[in-house]
Parts: sequence; C-alpha cells; structure tokens
Amino acid sequence: MRRLIYLQCLAYLLFSILLIQAAHAKEASDNNDEVTFKDFNLNIGDRIDLGDYQMELIEIQSVRDGLVVMRVAKIGGSLDEQRALLLDSPNNFDGGAENGGITITVADIFDEQSAKVRIEYQQSLGTPRKHASERPAPALDKPELSVQKSFERNQMSVGDEVKVTITVKNVGTGQALGIKAEDIPPLPEFSYVAGYPPKIKETLDFGQSDSTVYVMNAVKEGSIRVPAIMVSYTDAKKKAKSNSSEPFNILIRPKSKADLAIKLAGPAPIALDGEGMLNISISNLGTASATRIEADGTVTPADGLQATGLGKSFFEILPGGEVNYSARLSGLKPGNYTIRLKVGYDGGDGSVIQEGTLNVVVLEREYKYQYLLLIIPIAIIIAWMYRRYKEYKY
Amino acid sequence: MLNVLMLGVGQCGNRILDAINKEAFGGGGAAKLAKYYLRPKFPSRVETLAINTAINDLKELRFTTAKDRMHVANLHGVGANRNVGKQAFMDNRDMIMGEIEKRGDFDIAFVITSTSGGTGSSFSPLLINELKRQYRDITVITVAVLPFREEGSLYLQNAAFSMRELMEVDAEGIILADNQYMKRFSGDIASAYDKINSMIAKRLLFLIESLDSEMLSVTDLGDFKTVMNGGLRIGTMGFYQADSNNLSIKDAIENSLKPVNLLYPANVADDAARAMIIIQGSRELLDVDEITKEVERLSASAGHVFKGIVVKKGRPKVLSVFTVASAPELESIYAQAARGMQDEKEKRCRARKQLDDAFAHIEDLEEIY
Repeated sequence: MRRLIYLQCLAYLLFSILLIQAAHAKEASDNNDEVTFKDFNLNIGDRIDLGDYQMELIEIQSVRDGLVVMRVAKIGGSLDEQRALLLDSPNNFDGGAENGGITITVADIFDEQSAKVRIEYQQSLGTPRKHASERPAPALDKPELSVQKSFERNQMSVGDEVKVTITVKNVGTGQALGIKAEDIPPLPEFSYVAGYPPKIKETLDFGQSDSTVYVMNAVKEGSIRVPAIMVSYTDAKKKAKSNSSEPFNILIRPKSKADLAIKLAGPAPIALDGEGMLNISISNLGTASATRIEADGTVTPADGLQATGLGKSFFEILPGGEVNYSARLSGLKPGNYTIRLKVGYDGGDGSVIQEGTLNVVVLEREYKYQYLLLIIPIAIIIAWMYRRYKEYKY
Repeated sequence: MLNVLMLGVGQCGNRILDAINKEAFGGGGAAKLAKYYLRPKFPSRVETLAINTAINDLKELRFTTAKDRMHVANLHGVGANRNVGKQAFMDNRDMIMGEIEKRGDFDIAFVITSTSGGTGSSFSPLLINELKRQYRDITVITVAVLPFREEGSLYLQNAAFSMRELMEVDAEGIILADNQYMKRFSGDIASAYDKINSMIAKRLLFLIESLDSEMLSVTDLGDFKTVMNGGLRIGTMGFYQADSNNLSIKDAIENSLKPVNLLYPANVADDAARAMIIIQGSRELLDVDEITKEVERLSASAGHVFKGIVVKKGRPKVLSVFTVASAPELESIYAQAARGMQDEKEKRCRARKQLDDAFAHIEDLEEIY
C-alpha cells in the first residue's frame, strides 16, 4: 500500500514536471516573436549588424533640418537601400519590425558626424551588434561663422562719437563663401558718421576672421536695445548658412556738459577800516570740462567795501575738478554789501554764466569805551558832590 | 585883603552864620545845589565858625561846612542858663580858641549872637575878651540880636545881662538887630527868622565887600572902627537898593536911613552919633555931588558921616552904618526885663512860702510804718 502511495506521488511529481516544461516551451515561443529596440550612437561609417541585416550611417545631411542618410542592406542581396531619414520619424525596412523586418528611427543628431539611432526588431532576429568604422573620418567641408558686434563703450552721452566693431570669424572646418553682414535697421538714436553699412570679406577660410568698424554719433538719449547683426554665407556645396550676434543694451545719457558751482566763503563781519579775505571756490559738478573760465565780481553798493582780486581767468576745469582763489576785502564804510561773482565759461554746449553771491557786513566803528565819556564825568560829579555832601554833613 | 572871622555863637548866631554862607553861594534856592559844586564866594578871606553847645542846633545848618561847626560838649545846650554857659565856655576855652587859632590871623571879627539865648549870650562876652587877648590888633564887632519880647522873662533877663556884659567888654562896637522890630517883615515867626537872618547876612557881606574894595571915595576898616566907637558904641545898619522906577541916589541914601530899613529902631536924625554911608552902583548913576550934598545934610544932624562909593554895575545900593548916642528901646527892654525878673522873684517867694506852709503841716510828725 505504501508502495502504491509512493508510486502515486511519484506520478504526480512527474506529471507536474511535464506540465511546467510544456508551459515554459510555450512562453519561449511567444518571446521570440516580440518586438524590441535598442539605441546606438553612431559616427559616420559605423555599422550595426542584426541577423542578416546591415545598417550603416552614411552622412549627416543637415543637422538643422534633422536629415540623416543611412544604408540598409541584407545578406544575400535581397535588400540594399540608402535612404535619408528624418529626425524622430520611424522608417520601416522589409515591412518593419512588426512584420519581421526592422524599423530605424533617428533619435538625435549630435553634430555633422554623429547621431543617435534606434533600431526596432523582433527578438527572433537576434542581438544587434555595432561595428565601428575603421575608416578615418573624412575631412569635412563645414564652415561656421561666428559674428560679434561690439560698441566701444556701453554708456555714452548725447553728442559722443562711438565706434562699432563687427568681427566675423570662421570657426568651422570649411571655407565660407558669399559672406554678407546685415546690420539693420540703422538705429534712429545715432547718426552714422562713417563706415556704415559694414563690409566683410566675402570669403573666409576656416580659422580666418575679418572685422570692420563704423562710427556713429549719439543723438538721442535713452536706453537702447542694439539688435543682432546677422551674417549669411554658404559652404562649398552652396549650402546657405547664417549666424547672428547676441543683441545687447547700451545707454545714451543726456549730452555731457560742464556745470560750475560757485562757493563764496566770506569773512565774519569786517570792522570799519579792517580787512578780510573772501575765499572763492569754483567746482565743476558737470560731466564735461569747462573751458575759458572768466570770473569777475561786483560789489553793491559800490562804495564802502573795496574788493581786490575778484577777477580771475582759468583755462579749464575738468569734471569733478575745483579751483580756489582769494580776494581781499576792505571795509571803508559801515553797511551791508552784496558781492556778486559772475563766472562765464564754455561748458560744452555754448557759453554759460553762473553767479554766486555773498553778503558781507561792515560794522559800525566800535567805540569800546565810549560809555566812559559819560560815566567818568558823572562819577567825578557824583564823587565831587558826595565829597561836598560830606563836607556839609555834620 | 581883609582877613575876616565870623563867629556864630548859639542857635541864633549859627543860623545867621549859615545865612551868610548861603549868601556866599549866591543866596536863594540856587544855593541849595550850588554848595555841591561851588565854593562860597566871599569878598575877602572870610573864615566862619559856628559854635554851640547844642549839637542839634549845629546839625540843622545847611550851608556851613562840618569843619566850621564846633560843638562844645555840654549835654544838649545850657538851657538858657548863662551861668552854665559861662562855665561851659571856661571849661572849653582852650579848645575853642585853639579852633579859632587854626584859622589864622584876622583883621576883624564879627561875633554874631543872640542876647537872649543860653550859649550865645553867655559865651559871647567871654569869647570877645579871649579874642582881644589873643589877637591884639583885631577889631571885634558884636552883632547882637535882641529877642521877641513875648518870648519870656528868662530871655529878656538874659538879654539884659548879656547886653550889659557886651557893653563892658573891649569890643569895638555892637551892631544891634531887633527881632521884635523886624518881625513886621513877615507874618509868621519861622519865615521872620529866615528873613531877618538873610537881611543881616546880606548887610554884613555888603559891608565886608565895601571895606575891601577900591572905592571912588574911600572908607576903610579904620573909618568903620571910628564909627563904631561913636556914641554908646551901639549901632545898627540900614540898607536900600534903588528900584528901577527910581534910580535917584539921593532917595536911595535917604531910604537906607529910614526906620523901615534899619535892623533896630532908631531915629538917625535924633539918635545918631557917627555914621558911614557906603554906596554901590553903576558909575552913571552915582552923582558924587548929589551924594556929597546928602552926606553933608546928614552930617548936620548925625555928627560925622563917612562916605564910601564903590563903582559896580547895577542899581544903586546904599548901606548905612551908624552908632547911636541914645537907645530908648534898650531902656524899654531893661525895664521889661526888670519887671519880669521881679515878677519871677515874687512868684518864687510865693511858691516857697506855700511850700513852707505845706511842709509846716508835717513839721512835728514822724513817718510811721
């Protein structure tokens, strides 16, 4: 009985093993028909082998347009096709991966030499393998121009002249032909003095650069967005290309001019027949130099206060600069006087006259001990009268 | 220049002396301030000294300097008692004479005093004797003021005895001023005193000025002494200033001798022994012939008359000094004084008797305790 039970268990065991094996075989058959994919980074000339299929990256036709040329062939000669593939667009060969063929999609184009490619296939075709090209990379004829537009300075004043430099450099690998620089539109904030529109060599070999300068005059204040300059060219294959500089901002300040400030530092009140010094300070608070400075002063009322040395000439006072000088004041008559100093100068925008005033007091003559003239006689009289009073006081 | 000593003795003498000092400042209200800025302007070198035993009398002086006030310490006055006054003088004689001596030598001294008070009436005769003893050549004139008759018997008694003593001393003469006589000038006593004092002061200063001036017709100290030695050696002074309506020198002289302008009631025509007429005024107003005629007319009745003419701008002023040969008013005073003394004596006897009678009630009794 026991043996029977053992046999019965063994039979169950064997049956179970058979069932598992059968399920496994079914699963394996299903897996071989399943579509899978694999990504490859390919350089020009690299090849992928999958089953009988051979896929080779022939050319990156246009990075900008996303066009890549690949050749797909099948051992035996049943398939040999060279096709331009559009970026992110699946391309079926032999009916595509669903039908036992392959599907190729350009996932990314890195540059003119390389791209990322996705291969979709049925697993039954086996595992795709990449074969790197043993050929040296062909020398490319790909010119690339960088363009730069720069102002002499980013801040200027109305009336200032400014130089603009356009620099174009071929940083590519091929010769750039038919180069044209388009620096438009002309900016209304400037008047163009010379060199505009800029001219660049029509041809630049790789590594070569060219620059041009034009001169403008700022005519209107404000913050200005300077537009990019665009340079267009073609490579040897007549393929048109272009590049632009980065736009940037500049500031045009109001016209710079000199602004003279006059400071008069007078003496404390002058005693009659006394003297004092008047210190005059002329400082340029403006942004331009003041030139041909002529200072002259008047005193009102005219008589009673004599001022010598008020007039003075200076050739130039730089922005932020200062000149100082002194005048001598003599008080001849008591009173209040006004000293008016006029300073004429060329401030960069024609002649300007600035004025500074100062009030000066000439004191009355001080009779320091004048009261004694009254007090002493009174004291004498009082003393005399007191003495007399004492004489008569009994 | 005359060296003049003016001594005011007693309250009355002090006040007249003060009036003299006031006149030296110009007189009037202005003198009150003038003393603080002016020196007294005397015509000669005049030294003044006020002597009194009552310090309050000295304190009330206004125009006499403190150094010219001399207090003879005797409590507060002598109380109208001449005996006390005499004793006080004798006790302080050296001090008094020393104070006078400090003032130098003098040609003439005026001793101004009341005859009725205590200090003046008792000091003056003794003082005059001392002056005469100390200054051999000095002329001493007493200016004696007779009291109001109603002031009391004691004052009349003092006046009587004082006058007798003043007559007996070796002075050159007495110029009398009678308060009673001059009282008529003013209604109340106080202003009468002031007016009398001022009047005496002006006349004395006029006299001094005239004696010390260059004269058109000369009188001097000698003449004055001669005048004062005439008659009873008692004289008085008259004064008159011509008003602008009548500048006649003749009238001015006559007016100066009229009783109304005298310090003591006298009749020049009947009583005068010797006289001195001193005339001052602008030259054009001084008619010498007319003056001479008037003086001659006066001489006919008054004996000898000295005349002095001082040319000084202004209306004519005339000072007349004369001594009298008889003094009926003095006799009247003495009679009044004697009556008063007799009455006083009788009253005292009656009172004594009444008191003795009163005491008689307790004559045989003892005090019982």
